[in-house]
Amino acid sequence: MGTLFTIYLHELNEARELAVFQAVFDEIERVERTFSRFLPSSEIARINRNAGQGPVVTDPEVFHLLEYAKDLSGKTEGAFDITIGCLTRVWGFSERKRAIPSSDALEAAEAAVGWKHLQLDAQWRTVEFLKPGMELDLGAIAKGYAVDCALDILRSLAVQAMIDAGSSSIAANGDFFSRTWPICVADPASADVLLSEVLLGDRALSTSGVKEQSFTRDGRVYSHLLDPASHQREQDSHLLQVLQTTVLAPDSRLADGLSTALFLLGPRRGEAVMERFPECSAFWACRGEEGDFCAGIRWPQMESSTQ
Amino acid sequence: MERREFIGMAAAGLGALSLGMRGCGSPQAVAPCDWVHLGIIGVGGRGQHMMRMMLRVPGVRIAGLCDVYEPRIAEGRKVTGEQTPAYSDYRKLLEARDIDAVMVATPLALHAEHVIAALDSGRAVYGEKSMGRTLDDCNRIRDAVRRTGKILQVGLQYTYAPWYTEAQKRIQVGSIGQVTQVYSYWHRNSNWRRPLPAGAGAEIERLLNWRLYRQWSGGLLAELGSHQISFANTLFGAMPDSAMASGGVDYWKDGREIEDNVHAILRYPGGQTLQASFITTNRLDGAQERIFGTGGSIVLTHTEAIYYQEPWYPNSAVPPEMTIGHKLITGPTYSAEQPYTGKGETPLKGEASDADLQACREFIDCIRARRRPVADVDLGWSEAVTVALCNHALETGRNIKLTDFLAGTA
Repeated sequence: MGTLFTIYLHELNEARELAVFQAVFDEIERVERTFSRFLPSSEIARINRNAGQGPVVTDPEVFHLLEYAKDLSGKTEGAFDITIGCLTRVWGFSERKRAIPSSDALEAAEAAVGWKHLQLDAQWRTVEFLKPGMELDLGAIAKGYAVDCALDILRSLAVQAMIDAGSSSIAANGDFFSRTWPICVADPASADVLLSEVLLGDRALSTSGVKEQSFTRDGRVYSHLLDPASHQREQDSHLLQVLQTTVLAPDSRLADGLSTALFLLGPRRGEAVMERFPECSAFWACRGEEGDFCAGIRWPQMESSTQ
Repeated sequence: MERREFIGMAAAGLGALSLGMRGCGSPQAVAPCDWVHLGIIGVGGRGQHMMRMMLRVPGVRIAGLCDVYEPRIAEGRKVTGEQTPAYSDYRKLLEARDIDAVMVATPLALHAEHVIAALDSGRAVYGEKSMGRTLDDCNRIRDAVRRTGKILQVGLQYTYAPWYTEAQKRIQVGSIGQVTQVYSYWHRNSNWRRPLPAGAGAEIERLLNWRLYRQWSGGLLAELGSHQISFANTLFGAMPDSAMASGGVDYWKDGREIEDNVHAILRYPGGQTLQASFITTNRLDGAQERIFGTGGSIVLTHTEAIYYQEPWYPNSAVPPEMTIGHKLITGPTYSAEQPYTGKGETPLKGEASDADLQACREFIDCIRARRRPVADVDLGWSEAVTVALCNHALETGRNIKLTDFLAGTA
């Protein structure tokens, strides 16, 4: 996942702390070894190598996360899409490439994207790609899923803890962290300006933004949050760029996937999608023609939907 | 008639129909008679991991779970994704009629009891390493395999890792000259401890942290070293003549009984040596085998093999006539003895894959084809008896000869 995971524990003795840390980090590593597309021995890499030739059997955990991801694609009008593997590879943000791919390469990659062409057969627990060249990239959900798995362990051990995955996925177990530690949403344009401050409560938080993996050419920001269906081209004319989206959701995998989708959809189209997620809240930081602005849906500190 | 054969006959028509429908990698292509229903004895961390791997093999279903620690059952059912029948007594699991094969992933001291009972029940068995804890355990397991004629595959998964088998082939054809030494490391920086649920007592501590107690565990040599020892035995084509070992509870003084660092030296009949080091306080070197030959070296890790050509020093190539009559010039220490810090070659990693998944595939294939696995009882016996030999050396602080150990006079 290429992410720094920080775990905060409350009220333990040192020997138990070490064992808890070890168990949680082992679990995070296990999730990475399963879902990373970069490790050749991972299950996702095995599926990417073989699912174009025919159905591949996978274990229930992997199958259920793929089913979950496909369902989320449907509910987000395809803005969240784990079949963008080809597109991410061509752009190469994870390898720190800073160039716009050729139009031929982009066209070929876009042709190999499409969640509807990911065939999942629950009876046999198989995965199959119905489009040539398809590749899975679970980057927009695996980190949240790892946080969920780690939190399961902390819950089973009744440990009060907070997990912070690269500042972008945060979740907690127990009141000490979830009811007393404020999480601050910083202005993506100016880190010392705080746009919002929330308590997690029983929810997980995820932020997607262009700060880390992006570059600018001719005034346009290109980011690793790749749009499988060009959602942003249909935005309101006054919106130039979404800079950051933060989501509160019942679990981290949903917060993670939804924050990517809402980033790509923007506030206007995101509002319709958010009707399908009444238990979630969303907060956007945007750049418009008339300056930067924020928008929120059911965001704790906002009364109206847009401010 | 065995259950599998019965189902095979009853469903032959359906199997033939299914075969034509899909590619060879899909479960639809697996005839109903070739489906393997597994029972799992020991649903802890390792057991759950191997269950996931088994469920990636087409035509495998997990039909029974057994563990004495009740929370493991819910965890195991989460892995199978269904309400798999569960047992707290392995004998009840073995009585279940719908189980074709058994995986044993219990604490080491229980391997013999569980593996032998499963073999005697007529099942093929995947038994985690080390095969058995004592020489007697290993002999009884070997007798049970011979008596029942059933398949036993020992959980020495690196036997199936393509980069390992490729390295062995290259060594056999002399690509790194004559192999004289193997240095193996399994270095961790952790207390090797599982966290206990809040309020758990000493009994749960011994159950979940069984690796730390002599009652159940073979310590670092068995839990980590068995892979490396098995590799050296295979590479040198023999078990060691003798072993010595040293170690202690020197850092993690938390009530554990097994050593937190162990260092063993094994001498092989051909004059080769395996030096094996296990520590729990630094992980710079991780887990690796460094194979030293007169013409080169190979470093094996859990993901790849790296090849190094041995540098040929100028002094070995200078003709005698060039040195006669010349004076010897003094200077700074000759730098050729500095460690090599350059990059090695990774010309062939082998097929990228997970070694555990490869081992699971092999086990299921062996059941279907009624074939003996590569990691069979003989490989397991050689590995586990060598581990027991080393542990005896560790406990006594003496250099133990294999012949004495096998004769019970060590």
